[in-house]
Amino acid sequence: METIVFVALTISTLATALGCVGRDTRETVLLLSIQASTIGFVELLYCLFDLIIGLHIEALIDFFATFAEWFSCAVASPLIIYWGMVKTENNTDQPVIGTRNAAILLAIMTLFYWILGTWILSPLPPKFEAVPFSAFMFSMSVFLMSTRKDALKILAGLNMAENALYPLIAEIPLGLIPFMLVLMVFVNVVGVFIIMEAYREYRTLKITKWKCIG
Amino acid sequence: MYSLLPLLSLIVPFFAGTLCLFMYPFRFLEPFSKKIEKISLLLGTGLTLVIVLSFVQPVFTNEPLETPILSLRVDMTNAVGVLGVSLIFFLTSIYNIKAEGGGRLKPSLYNFFVLLLLFCMLGLLLSYDLFGIYLFVELAIGVSIILVAHAPGKLSPEAAFKYLIITAISALFVLLGVLTIYIFTHTSNIFAIMSKPEMLNENPRLILLVAACFVIGLGADIGLVPFHGWIPDVFPASTPAINSFSCAEPIALIFALYKLVYPLYTIHPSPVIVSLFFGIGLISMIFGILLAYPQGDFMRMIAYCSIDEFGHMVFAFGLFTPLSFMAAMFYLVNGALMKSGILQALGSVLISSGTRNMDMLGGLVGRMRKTAISYVICILSLVGIPPLSGFYAKWLLYNAVYDFLFPRMGIFASILVLILLVCISMVSFIFLVRSFHRIFLGHSLEKSRNTVEVHWTMWLPNVTIAATSIIVGLQPKILLSLINLP
Repeated sequence: METIVFVALTISTLATALGCVGRDTRETVLLLSIQASTIGFVELLYCLFDLIIGLHIEALIDFFATFAEWFSCAVASPLIIYWGMVKTENNTDQPVIGTRNAAILLAIMTLFYWILGTWILSPLPPKFEAVPFSAFMFSMSVFLMSTRKDALKILAGLNMAENALYPLIAEIPLGLIPFMLVLMVFVNVVGVFIIMEAYREYRTLKITKWKCIG
Repeated sequence: MYSLLPLLSLIVPFFAGTLCLFMYPFRFLEPFSKKIEKISLLLGTGLTLVIVLSFVQPVFTNEPLETPILSLRVDMTNAVGVLGVSLIFFLTSIYNIKAEGGGRLKPSLYNFFVLLLLFCMLGLLLSYDLFGIYLFVELAIGVSIILVAHAPGKLSPEAAFKYLIITAISALFVLLGVLTIYIFTHTSNIFAIMSKPEMLNENPRLILLVAACFVIGLGADIGLVPFHGWIPDVFPASTPAINSFSCAEPIALIFALYKLVYPLYTIHPSPVIVSLFFGIGLISMIFGILLAYPQGDFMRMIAYCSIDEFGHMVFAFGLFTPLSFMAAMFYLVNGALMKSGILQALGSVLISSGTRNMDMLGGLVGRMRKTAISYVICILSLVGIPPLSGFYAKWLLYNAVYDFLFPRMGIFASILVLILLVCISMVSFIFLVRSFHRIFLGHSLEKSRNTVEVHWTMWLPNVTIAATSIIVGLQPKILLSLINLP
């Protein structure tokens, strides 16, 4: 794995881990944006180099597609959640198992994935080198979703889980990217719409205070 | 044969939905939009049904219709599913005329999303492209969630949120499976993947992993145990019309699951894949009936009963034999139709009486005769009482199970599994018939004193489904002649 890819993946993994213990919604959304920005950054950089070196139409299309993908993950989706927060409230809470326990669990998960990545998945083909990072980020995002009561943080966790698959999504055919982006934004809009409706009914974003979930 | 009909059947609901959507931003069109809201939905679904019916003749002569550029295809494997989905949507659109009393979405938006759901269901059935299936799954989830949230009241947003989180995470598993296959094979067409098995065959563990991803991903969207958490909340929270529309979803989603896993099974026929389907199916059946039995809320009862039905369907598809495919497809379409009839009848009771609590109901048979008769026919068909269509579905299923198990596990195990399946059906029979007794028979209780028979647009689709059950029960070849081996 190239150093720049490793660094980018490490930063995005760190952002996901911090998201798990982040306190308010604003902070979680910011970390979501950082995670998405860094995870898509390398792919975007490669496309930019291709464009500068090659200067041909395919490279241009490729660059725009990658940029659109990066933009919707790193800017559009976090902004939609942020807008939801502005319209409702910026909750401050900690994981239901406590910040300290959450940090210990995250450390155990890190160790587990480090062993998995180093010993078990090491002979993976180059395209799958990022899989241990993706799996780790995905697990942490699910962890975030299952240990938070705030609906917007759960939605941010869902986005982090989706972003974790970014290294694999980069392989999809170019023609599908617009559809994927529209769907990604659509799911976020639906999520925020539902949360706002629930907030209107219950005046709180804590799902434990909602009737049938809590 | 090259044909644009499969594409046309997708374009029609999408275009009709988009036309409805155009009225949304123009306030001066709102009164007009309100006047035509029900009719436009009926026209959209009706037109789609007409196009789907035009498939029947060529498909009946075993000539598949294909739009290869979009990997769309209709043949004897999916024709019945397409027909079932279109029929459910058309009948529910008639039911919707009086049953839909408004909610969070404006009429034009509501129509758009219902027609978009039809578009997704047909897309899932017709598409043979991995990415196409993923996109339709994701879109279908989003649209279903919005439609659940449409219902007025406190319950719907929280149920929709639960639905969103479970299904959106599960959709990522579908994406992971699709991406893994694509990276290894460099193609997303299912037929192309099956024609080049060596690319995936090099790594059998990967095939199992991908199959597990699909089962987890689509299992949660379908509502199989242990990913069923959203179902018991979504049924009581949605409007009766939406519940009836959503009966078409399992046809598309379970068939999509089969379409995704079947190529993997043909490439690497591992017993692990069969066990996965077999196990999840069996657990869903047992869990479903055990939790449906004590329910006092009829919508929650049907929600758990649905889990049991999904279990049967996945169980049958998971045997991967030609006979089991036929049984599963028959079961799938019949089950969805009957459940749609049951939910329409229960929706009528809810609208008429204002309660879902069976303890507060009783003696409705005199006041809601047509609804009561169609309800009892649908429940008897669902549990497999002859001469209704459900009987053939169960009969075929038992045959397929015996056929599969006998050469592999011997007579003792085969009969044991069959006895278990019969016991499961008997429990469903008991709680469904008891629900009929609690709602429609006995003395009139407080909530049922002022109830009256619903408008004809609400009982007619219900009676039509009951009549279909009798006709298909007497002549099962009507459906069976449209199903063939994959």
